[in-house]
Amino acid sequence: MIDWGLTAKIAGGGFGMVFIILAILALVVWLVGLGVQRFSKGSSKSEEKR
Amino acid sequence: MFGLLESGFQQFCWGNALMLVIAGVLIYLGIAKKMEPLLLIPIGFGILLVNLPLGGVMDYRLEVRSLEAGNVVEVQMQEGERFKEGNIICQLDSGEIEAPVHGRVEAVKVSPGQHIEAGDVVASIITTAQTNQSELPTEPLGLLSRIFKFGIMWQIIPPLIFLCLGALTDFGPMLANPRTLFLGAAAQFGVYFAFFAALLCGFTIPEACSIGIIGGAEGPTTVYVTSILAPHIIGATAVACYSYMALVPIIQPPIIRLLTSKKERAIYMKPQLREVAQLEKILFPIISAVIVILLVPMSAPLIGCFMVGNLFRESGVVERLSTTAQTSLIDILTIFLTLSIGASMPAENFLLPKTLLVLILGVVAFATATAAGVILAKIMNLFSKEKINPMIGAAGVSAVPMAARVVQIMGQKENPRNFLLMHAMGPNVAGAIGAAIAGGVFLGIVG
Repeated sequence: MIDWGLTAKIAGGGFGMVFIILAILALVVWLVGLGVQRFSKGSSKSEEKR
Repeated sequence: MFGLLESGFQQFCWGNALMLVIAGVLIYLGIAKKMEPLLLIPIGFGILLVNLPLGGVMDYRLEVRSLEAGNVVEVQMQEGERFKEGNIICQLDSGEIEAPVHGRVEAVKVSPGQHIEAGDVVASIITTAQTNQSELPTEPLGLLSRIFKFGIMWQIIPPLIFLCLGALTDFGPMLANPRTLFLGAAAQFGVYFAFFAALLCGFTIPEACSIGIIGGAEGPTTVYVTSILAPHIIGATAVACYSYMALVPIIQPPIIRLLTSKKERAIYMKPQLREVAQLEKILFPIISAVIVILLVPMSAPLIGCFMVGNLFRESGVVERLSTTAQTSLIDILTIFLTLSIGASMPAENFLLPKTLLVLILGVVAFATATAAGVILAKIMNLFSKEKINPMIGAAGVSAVPMAARVVQIMGQKENPRNFLLMHAMGPNVAGAIGAAIAGGVFLGIVG
């Protein structure tokens, strides 16, 4: 006898969880990339001014 | 042999012969076709070793205990006798005591007329079966059964292999194009589709989770999850996973061709990805470990090891640790893992209808994972200005780097200007993270 409640929790919730976590990672990676790029641009400009 | 000692021929059966053929095929594919030789050769040889009776490399001692009190009426087995699961060991006046697994009798501990209590040892048997240790604890006796029990069943080797894989992984392409993380996530659909299909085929929920995770196309994750949830099918799931990883160049192209047009397969992607700063590469393993482990604590052994291995690589200050993880350590662990996984497949464990179903569901998992990755890539193209070649979605199944290579080869065939390898590496490594998270989710809910 299949426990459909648990099955739905594992299949739906599990896949949703994986998707959400990787989406969060994608967002964090994008933000970190943006921050690091701006920081490195800023520091290279200040080096040029010197 | 010549009356001096017992020969393996006496116990050799057709099942062992068939397993030797399977071992031969895997070794042949590894050597002649060069399909994942590092995996298939030792797995094949492990199968060969365990199917030569009385070699004892994968033997366990198991004490069979009576579940109820009673007087022994008859002992139905003799020392040295081989038996199948469910055969009757001895008859009590209150019932029968059946063999919980296949094996051979090492010693009978009771005699007719003797009174025994519930929990008393009736017989000591030698078996090659993988058992749930909380219900049927075994003592490993052979070389490979010791490695299997303390390396795999204690969940040591798979996370350490993940550490080595982390040291070998360059997250650069994924960091340069974070959208590819979605493709790695989409490919995990195969895991859940196969899980659902396995349930419909009559497998229990822990077994279905272990079968589903094959779709993650990550050997260590599959072995890790199965060793916890369904150790009795670990041989089948591991072989399915590693074999299909080797067969990615055969499984994926027809599915990709089916779901994409020639025009889509020829979509050109600029070979130059954004240059990723070293700081980003150092921050990623730390940040992702924190986020993922906080959200899915059960994924800590896999994700933690994966990310620390990657930090060794990217930090640039622990060259020795990084080099060791990338070379000697992964080679040693691979030998232990693959030989003992192969040896977990004696004929009695492997030649079952269930095993065939596991193998079929494994292909289903790979196929649906590939399809889901490609379909999401096509959907993403509907909403983005800069089109991506939908074939790179297929690399989301992990199987690093084979799946990315397949995309590269197919891409060059359709458009010789295309160089998709680095683009495909993004979803490829994202798939490895996704599979580890999916495994952690399974363990968190079912484990």
